[in-house]
Amino acid sequence: MNSTNRALNRLLLLIVGLLLVAVGAAAATAVLLPGVRDGWKASAGPVQRQVESWLQATPLGTTGVSWIMPAVLVLIVLAVILLLAFALRQGRGRTGTVVDEAVGEHGQTVISSKVAEEAIQDALSARPEFVASHVSTYRVKRTPTLKVSVTCRRGVSPADASAIVESSLKALDQLLGRELPALVQISGGFRARVSGSTRLQ
Amino acid sequence: MSTTSLRRRITRRELHSPRSTAAIVVAVLLILGLAWVGTEIVIALLGLPALLVAPADMFASAVNLPDAPAAIVVAAGAVVVVIGLVLVVLALAPGRRARHVLETERAATVVDSEVLASALARHASSAADVDPDHTSVSVSSRHAVVDLVPTTGIPVDRSAVSSAVERELAGYGLRRPVSSRVRVRESGKVGA
Repeated sequence: MNSTNRALNRLLLLIVGLLLVAVGAAAATAVLLPGVRDGWKASAGPVQRQVESWLQATPLGTTGVSWIMPAVLVLIVLAVILLLAFALRQGRGRTGTVVDEAVGEHGQTVISSKVAEEAIQDALSARPEFVASHVSTYRVKRTPTLKVSVTCRRGVSPADASAIVESSLKALDQLLGRELPALVQISGGFRARVSGSTRLQ
Repeated sequence: MSTTSLRRRITRRELHSPRSTAAIVVAVLLILGLAWVGTEIVIALLGLPALLVAPADMFASAVNLPDAPAAIVVAAGAVVVVIGLVLVVLALAPGRRARHVLETERAATVVDSEVLASALARHASSAADVDPDHTSVSVSSRHAVVDLVPTTGIPVDRSAVSSAVERELAGYGLRRPVSSRVRVRESGKVGA
């Protein structure tokens, strides 16, 4: 429902995972396999000298330090900003309006998502089949979409639960004069397990 | 129609894990690691003593890795490889959630397998005349298995239970059909 970029999530996991596998395997083989170990040791000196010569070849003004370090610092700051943006973007996509359209030349009709959410929640909270219900509105492909999650009491038939929610959605359709796309999520969960089972047959 | 494509997108996303938790954990750990390295660089540039390891020492110990104690390096390497493999699996596995899609008229509907199981358990126990506490049902993506422990002395009509369960399942309108199996325990329980 939300606008989380799932491909990006998986891409990050894949890249970090492959990097960790590569680093871990390289470290282990460098110690375990004599061939790799000797090669690593032989190249250690030249690599160190090469890096030292780079650091000396890139002085930052007259301060005596290389500008490579501050450059690395800038890259690190950029990476941190990107990762923060990535982490904070998860789970977004809620919207506050379900209808926003211009009718004729007299103005605009805006319906807040609270109207739809509270209408459905009101209808559902009175039902004995559910221990809890929650309605929220998300923007899916630029279309406001309702998400109705209900937690069923133990033993309630999902067909009945779905019929109850659908009838309240249809009542809302009548009220608004249009059909909003909707997702109904029927779940059990902890509260359903500890609450009493249904007495409806 | 656009509503059917919208509905398909919503149900597909509801059936699979977004991997948000894992991605956020990895991102936060990366941020912490990078922030630490950045701080060490700043401190080194200011010429102050390092917090834990100076950047130059980090580089030197990476280059001279084979001289480090072998057991520690191998153990750490193995742990890192395992964590990496877990992340690769998380990235590539489908991550299906224990949910089912109902074919309904008005809205896209997803049901936790748990809810299906508890509804089936109620019907199975009343069809078998067995205490609900002695009925257990597990629902996977394609199968529902009903386990009954009969009350001692009262035989359970297996075909009646299985037809009741099948009637229930057919009535739900599951998009992916679920087949059912009823198992009646050999030994019953006294009382109840």
